[in-house]
Amino acid sequence: MFLLGYSKEARKRRDQLATGVIVALAGFILLVLASLLIYICVQGISAINWEFLSQFPRESMTKGGILPAIVGTLYLALGSMVISIPLGFGAAIYLSEYAKQGPLVSVIRLGVANLAGVPSVVFGLFGLSLFVTTFGFGRSLLSGCLTLGLLTLPTVTAAAEEALRQTPGSFREAALALGANRFQAIRQVILPAALPGMLTGAILALGRAAGETAPISLTSATAYSPSLPDSPFNEAMALTTHIYNLATNGANIAGTRPQQFGTSLVLMAIVLGLSLAAVILRARLRRSRKW
Amino acid sequence: MVAEQNGFEAAPNGQGGGAGQGDGAGQGGDAGQGGEVIIKADNVSFFYGQFQALKNISVDIMADEVTAFIGPSGCGKSTFLKLLNRMHDFVPGTRLAGEIQIRGTSIYGPEADPVDIRRRVGMVFQRPNPFPKSIYDNICYGPRLVGVNRKADLDQVVERALKAAALWDDVKDKLGKSALDLSGGQQQRVCIARALALEPEILLMDEPTSALDPIATSKVEDWIRGAGMSIVIVTHNMQQAARISDRTAFFYMGQLIEFGPTLELFTSPKEERTENYITGRFG
Ligand SMILES: Nc1ncnc2c1ncn2[C@@H]1O[C@H](COP(=O)(O)OP(=O)(O)OP(=O)(O)O)[C@@H](O)[C@H]1O
Ligand SMILES: [Mg+2]
Repeated sequence: MFLLGYSKEARKRRDQLATGVIVALAGFILLVLASLLIYICVQGISAINWEFLSQFPRESMTKGGILPAIVGTLYLALGSMVISIPLGFGAAIYLSEYAKQGPLVSVIRLGVANLAGVPSVVFGLFGLSLFVTTFGFGRSLLSGCLTLGLLTLPTVTAAAEEALRQTPGSFREAALALGANRFQAIRQVILPAALPGMLTGAILALGRAAGETAPISLTSATAYSPSLPDSPFNEAMALTTHIYNLATNGANIAGTRPQQFGTSLVLMAIVLGLSLAAVILRARLRRSRKW
Repeated sequence: MVAEQNGFEAAPNGQGGGAGQGDGAGQGGDAGQGGEVIIKADNVSFFYGQFQALKNISVDIMADEVTAFIGPSGCGKSTFLKLLNRMHDFVPGTRLAGEIQIRGTSIYGPEADPVDIRRRVGMVFQRPNPFPKSIYDNICYGPRLVGVNRKADLDQVVERALKAAALWDDVKDKLGKSALDLSGGQQQRVCIARALALEPEILLMDEPTSALDPIATSKVEDWIRGAGMSIVIVTHNMQQAARISDRTAFFYMGQLIEFGPTLELFTSPKEERTENYITGRFG
């Protein structure tokens, strides 16, 4: 009796302690995040107005807006998905559905996982030498999209493969037993079931593509552009490189702080918005699936 | 319409040594004529890589009867069942020796079309596995694959299949709802209906009630008893085999030990291993 009561007490105390530690850690992280957000908001909000979002920069980028950078970033992020989604989903389908599971596939999978950890500047350098120089695409949106596409490919592939592997094999069996061939089973049953999970990964990759600096500064970014890009072979401004330029070699580094933070705020809004979309998609997926 | 090749013509050819049919196991015997062999396995052996899962199995399965496969776990019941609709085609490293015929035609011969065989031989799995789609779309999956696309035809297929699976009254008002919102027993009957929508000649069922509660189980059992079609069912539950099957096959370690009318096999088994198993001395 005594022992029982004692251990129960102790367990309860340990439980409370652990809970306390976890709550404290979570609180700390939230605090850091919140102060970061608040700081950027406070610093940047004064710069944000309709003109800032809808105008071209003026007077050596000390005045005016950031429209071309917003547009450039959207082009780059979406364009990179045009590359990485078909390739990544295709690779994931091959790896999980067609490839004979064995050492080779394990090595490929490991390679994909490691590719996701390669620093982005390395991708930038690679894109510079392959797309800009060798293929002759020049510094252009196309080169930037291809580079970012490669950069996000491992993330997209790994997330898509995970989603595919989580769809139960019993769906596949059922479709095959009803006279579907392999391709029909994948297209009609497995893909629809896995798609929300696959898209979640793609949206997160989209956010990452929007936030990259080094790869695009090497392959596609221009400091200033008087017009919106009208061809994939145009150079383009981007939010990240715009911040970098204003803060490191702008005409008035200290004086443009509000623009720097304002641009950061816009960038964060885009990236957070994309992540939020991913979270909502995942939540809906969780609710709708019961297998 | 869906393949209408379902005419159960009673083939007049004499069959070899079919044991007495009227063993009256409480069967809805609407197809009572002396049996026609629908599946004939001749000296079938099967390998997963080096491992031999089935050893020299020969068996004649009768049309319009319920045939139960029993035996301890790992004895090869599911393996044999899946051979009958070529579901092993997708498992790399497997090998078959021997011959399996359905209505006299080899299903592994060079002429055989695996997809066609899977349409003629339906399958229901251990766990209910409806697609994450509406009830309607679940049932229509097979017919759509063979090109039935007109709404009126599909409506008719759905109604007929659901009625055949004794589920129509439960779900007729919510055909558009996700099949995953149904109870386990209802889901399993959706899976039965989905298989029936292709009007298969044979239905294979691998422990179809093992994931179900007793009430859902008895509904599925009732359906099997009244279905009046050729059904091969794997079950771990010997009472279930006794309740619903006309003939029972006892498998043990990859071999077919005994096969005969269910009543006979359970009351006077010829083999000692059968007797040990059904009296619960091992397994
Ligand atoms: N894909 C596979 N690869 C290798 N061996 C397998 C595979 N599937 C089954 N086996 C082996 O084949 C043997 C027969 O398996 P099977 O699934 O047919 O047994 P079962 O009689 O259906 O058992 P249970 O009653 O547990 O379902 C077992 O020893 C099993 O380990
Ligand atoms: Mg089994």
